[in-house]
Amino acid sequence: MDAQNLGYALTQVVHNLGAVSVTGGAAAACGLKLAEPQAAQRSLAALVLGGWAAQAASGVCFGAISYLGYGRLPDIHGIAVGALVLKMVCAAAGFSVAALYLAREVGWSAPARRRAWTAQLALALTALAAAAVLRWFS
Amino acid sequence: MTVFKPLLLICSLGLSGAVLAQDASVTISSPADGAKVSASAPTKVTYAVVPGPKGDHVHLYVDGGEATVLRQLNGTTTVDTLKAGPHTLCIKVVDKAHTPIGVEKCIKVTAG
Repeated sequence: MDAQNLGYALTQVVHNLGAVSVTGGAAAACGLKLAEPQAAQRSLAALVLGGWAAQAASGVCFGAISYLGYGRLPDIHGIAVGALVLKMVCAAAGFSVAALYLAREVGWSAPARRRAWTAQLALALTALAAAAVLRWFS
Repeated sequence: MTVFKPLLLICSLGLSGAVLAQDASVTISSPADGAKVSASAPTKVTYAVVPGPKGDHVHLYVDGGEATVLRQLNGTTTVDTLKAGPHTLCIKVVDKAHTPIGVEKCIKVTAG
């Protein structure tokens, strides 16, 4: 088995699980009634926070594996670069919102929490869409 | 002797891997290296690629800038009209993550 392909595959597993976590976590939270125990939403926020971290770390790993194998990073251009930047912005924003939620949500109103989850879902869906563009326009 | 055989096996596996990696190749059959091409019409580039075990598809570069991604391993593609003067066209084999694996073919053409 080729070590590099194995590395890419394992990294892809982490990346995919991260995508599922951020999208599923945000979608589940948006679907919950706001009267639901906040503990459940905090658990989802922690899941989403971990998902964004996994997305970022695995994204770096993709580049690192390429660099270790060939001494250079993946060669992308044009729309693909835009999609990658968009994904990175989504990950940074999503991570920040999730961290802020965990740190401050106790004092937030129900509408504020709802806005946070709606933002998380929008960021997750945008990142997913950007990933598709990055995959096929590279 | 008991150590020598496994070492020999490992070395031979490494060698076979190196040989496999060498199997990738790129051929540009048209335009020919050093050819003159039109500066008023797109240039057609005919190529054939063997990706080898590490490669997946190829990227086409014009003067060092990536012009397009080619997923067909052989055929003809079109490069936007080149400005008058010398240019370098390169086709590089890349892996699934779009990283060049070090196998490429470059030609020089002059548009005029």
